Amino acid sequence: MSPLEFFADHTYRIVFAGTVVIGLVAGALGSFAYLRKQSLISDVISHAALPGTLIAFLTAVVVLGTDGRSMLGLILGAVVVGTLAVLAANGLTQATKIRIDTAMAISLTVFFGAGMLLLRVISNGDYPGKGGIADYLFGNASVITVADLVTSAVVGGLALLVMGVFWKEFALRTFDPAHTSALGFRASAVDALMFITIVIATVIGVKAVGLVLMVAFVITPPAAARQWTSTLRSMVALSAAIGAVGSGTGAYLSIVLGVPTGPAIVLTLFGIFAVSIAASPRRSVIMRGLARARARAALRRELLAETGATSGGSVASAGAGGSVPGTRSDGVGQS
Amino acid sequence: MSFAVGVLLLAIVTAMACALPGVFVVLRRSSMLVDAIGHAVLPGIVIGYALTRDLGSPLLILGAALAGLVVVLGAEWLGRTGLLTGDSPQGLIFPALFAAGVIAVTLNFGNVHLDTHAVLVGDLNLAAFEQWIVGGVSFGPTYLYVMLAVLAGNIAFIAIMYRHLTVTTFDPGFASSIGIRTGAVQTAFMFLVSVTVTAAFHASGAILVLALVVVPAATAHLLSRRLPATLLLAVVIAAGGAAAGFGLAYVLDAATSAGMAVFYGLLFAVALAIVKVRERRRHRQRPTVAGPSSQLPHPHGLHPHRG
Repeated sequence: MSPLEFFADHTYRIVFAGTVVIGLVAGALGSFAYLRKQSLISDVISHAALPGTLIAFLTAVVVLGTDGRSMLGLILGAVVVGTLAVLAANGLTQATKIRIDTAMAISLTVFFGAGMLLLRVISNGDYPGKGGIADYLFGNASVITVADLVTSAVVGGLALLVMGVFWKEFALRTFDPAHTSALGFRASAVDALMFITIVIATVIGVKAVGLVLMVAFVITPPAAARQWTSTLRSMVALSAAIGAVGSGTGAYLSIVLGVPTGPAIVLTLFGIFAVSIAASPRRSVIMRGLARARARAALRRELLAETGATSGGSVASAGAGGSVPGTRSDGVGQS
Repeated sequence: MSFAVGVLLLAIVTAMACALPGVFVVLRRSSMLVDAIGHAVLPGIVIGYALTRDLGSPLLILGAALAGLVVVLGAEWLGRTGLLTGDSPQGLIFPALFAAGVIAVTLNFGNVHLDTHAVLVGDLNLAAFEQWIVGGVSFGPTYLYVMLAVLAGNIAFIAIMYRHLTVTTFDPGFASSIGIRTGAVQTAFMFLVSVTVTAAFHASGAILVLALVVVPAATAHLLSRRLPATLLLAVVIAAGGAAAGFGLAYVLDAATSAGMAVFYGLLFAVALAIVKVRERRRHRQRPTVAGPSSQLPHPHGLHPHRG
């Protein structure tokens, strides 16, 4: 299918726009999780959010008698339960000798296990509109409606707005936590605010790309963007752009190839990341290897010139053949 | 042996096999790495199945476990480049591997008989389907013996490597100073974990295998202070929780692993409550022993955590 045909189709346009919004919001806000070195927390949020979405579904269907798949309800349920799971994980590390990695693992699996039980109860029961809820796991972009798109754009836009308004506080708290408190900002309030925006970024994709792979939407674009930029502003902007472009491209590929949307986007994003870390001009494996080789060669020349100047040509030729200057310059190059 | 008993035994043996290395996983702060491994072995399993056509094949289990090592060694390498921060290296690799596996499953690559639901939570009934029958008498699911072999392998590894494992866990600096290759021990141990996770995949899926490895071990870690006791307690909790979780899932007609994860969560909560009550009681008793020092620091302040 050519891109022209793709965009001529109403459903595909919605799919494309929906995934681009998710990628953009997750990419921008993921930067803060990345820079605070807590990327995996988004894995806990996304998995633990499953029972939240299902409780929201049940509440809507049984109590309110409305459509259980309303996007706003899903996001609300996911935000509440996702936040609870993270509070549980953090609380565990503070109250016991359990460390954060284990606390995250416990929180993630217990919430997710409960979600899978609940999912089974719902699919065995008689609830209207239960058909699509298994899609919350891997996502199904083709079920996004215009209303869903608007909801996720508004919620995501609000999260981005919060980021814009509290930009200074977020930046300060990210790079110099102690300084934030010293300047009189309430660190816990900034944390909570930043945290809620990250939760929103993580759960906004529940319908289109599923909960299971959301972690990649939050981690991969910032990690790729970081290799090209060195200021926070440009990193957040580039990360959002990478998230949007990667998601759009992945959604297109998923429809053309007939594979699930979430995994297709994740692989596209990973491709962008792989290129970035391998070959970005400033920070990358290849460029650093080249720079190191160059530094090594320069040092070798310098040492040779020194030995040549002090003790004559015979020693210089031994130095060129021997491995000692080479190995030594290796260490210098790395430091 | 009846089918249900076979499934129950399979659940118990799988839980014990996972919980044993889990104790060291928890102590070595590698819990989230196991999450990564659980996801990463999926493409290995799919390719292995296309080649061997037997989900219980030892070749498949060892081969797929190598995919788990990809995430362990790959994350280490990415971390060493110094270009990435925090815990992102593993978070970058495993979703990509898992996504590749999910796409392979949905495209029905190599006719692998897994649905995406089973990928997440496993399918114990499917794993227990093939029975080992000798002379018309059923000796339970064939897969039970695969898991028993993995359990035996874990016990043997931990027994043989016990000193190396403990010293590299509690004091890596000292371990390398006395000539233990900590990196090699870590890789060997993570390969063992990877093999266990792969073997347990059919019983618990990519995500809930993490519950089997970490939660009983963490519960035991809460309750005991000595390593041998922790190991023993973890195995007991794993087995008990597996049986109860099996029952819970049976009643709800849900995946056994989901029932087990929730029940392990309950056991953990009970253990947490016991520890907190014990702590509070000790607090209350202390002033009568040590005089009017109600402002004694919290016990955690007196005994900083190891490591």
